[in-house]
Amino acid sequence: MKSPDSLVDPESAAKIGSVVATAAGEVNRRDWQRWAAAVGDHNPLWFDPDFARAHGYRDVICPPLFLQYAILGVSPLGALRADGSSGAVSGSMAFPRAPRRMAGGESTTFHLPAYHRDEIEMVRTVDAIVEKEGRSGRFVLVTWRSEYRNQDRDLIAEATTSMIARP
Amino acid sequence: MTEQLHYEDVDPGDAVAPLTVTVDETQLFFFSAATYNGHRIHYDKEWARDVEGYDNVLVHGPLQAALLSRALTDWIGGDGRLVAFAVQNRAIAYPGQALTFGGVVTGKTDEGGLVELDIFCRRGDDVLMPGAATVALPRRGTP
Repeated sequence: MKSPDSLVDPESAAKIGSVVATAAGEVNRRDWQRWAAAVGDHNPLWFDPDFARAHGYRDVICPPLFLQYAILGVSPLGALRADGSSGAVSGSMAFPRAPRRMAGGESTTFHLPAYHRDEIEMVRTVDAIVEKEGRSGRFVLVTWRSEYRNQDRDLIAEATTSMIARP
Repeated sequence: MTEQLHYEDVDPGDAVAPLTVTVDETQLFFFSAATYNGHRIHYDKEWARDVEGYDNVLVHGPLQAALLSRALTDWIGGDGRLVAFAVQNRAIAYPGQALTFGGVVTGKTDEGGLVELDIFCRRGDDVLMPGAATVALPRRGTP
């Protein structure tokens, strides 16, 4: 930003504080069950309606960590980055000077359960873009804040996610 | 989850029942598919080695997080609730490595039956993913 050799190009830096992504999608039981199966997570709250009802829910519930995937859109193959990723998750931020990217971390507060066919809307803003020095050199840490609301505008979850981009 | 864990059952220092998983490439593929993740470092060895400089394809950070939440939600049972979950990716993991997921209780709040935990994904003594979580547990004698 200040120094000319900063890893953060001016176009990316200008996005701090702005809404970089809104996305909406339907929570789908089969999708979350496929995710849970891929994790080896056989919790009956995600699979067994009788079990879920016996524990105070009206039906099976979406695993909390799956919610972030329910709003993912569709990426044409021709629009993918060279590394195969779509950019849909990050709010389409690419750092030309730091093209190697990996997930940094996530911090989420879960307020309410999500159910099959809930319509979730996510609004994501860029919280911070910071250049840091790590054990393996310089990197950029990007932090986003996301709110997830259902069709009744109830706040389901609030998340802070981050990404690390390296030169 | 045969027996429900209650708020009264846990004290600071208590451990979450640990989960050990050795992720293989099939699981990586299914997790990529289930999360609509096209990033080549999880399935294209040549890309992972030659372009991104790793020894092999990588276990997804979000898969490590998901396995950690699985350990927690298994431990708290059907009447427990995951309230907050935070993790940081500190180091990468490769398929074929045994990873252990768990946590330690750090505090309790009577109001709401909340239990605070430090959580982790470890490979041997290396912490690959540290984090913190809050869960709500039911009280004994309440429905």
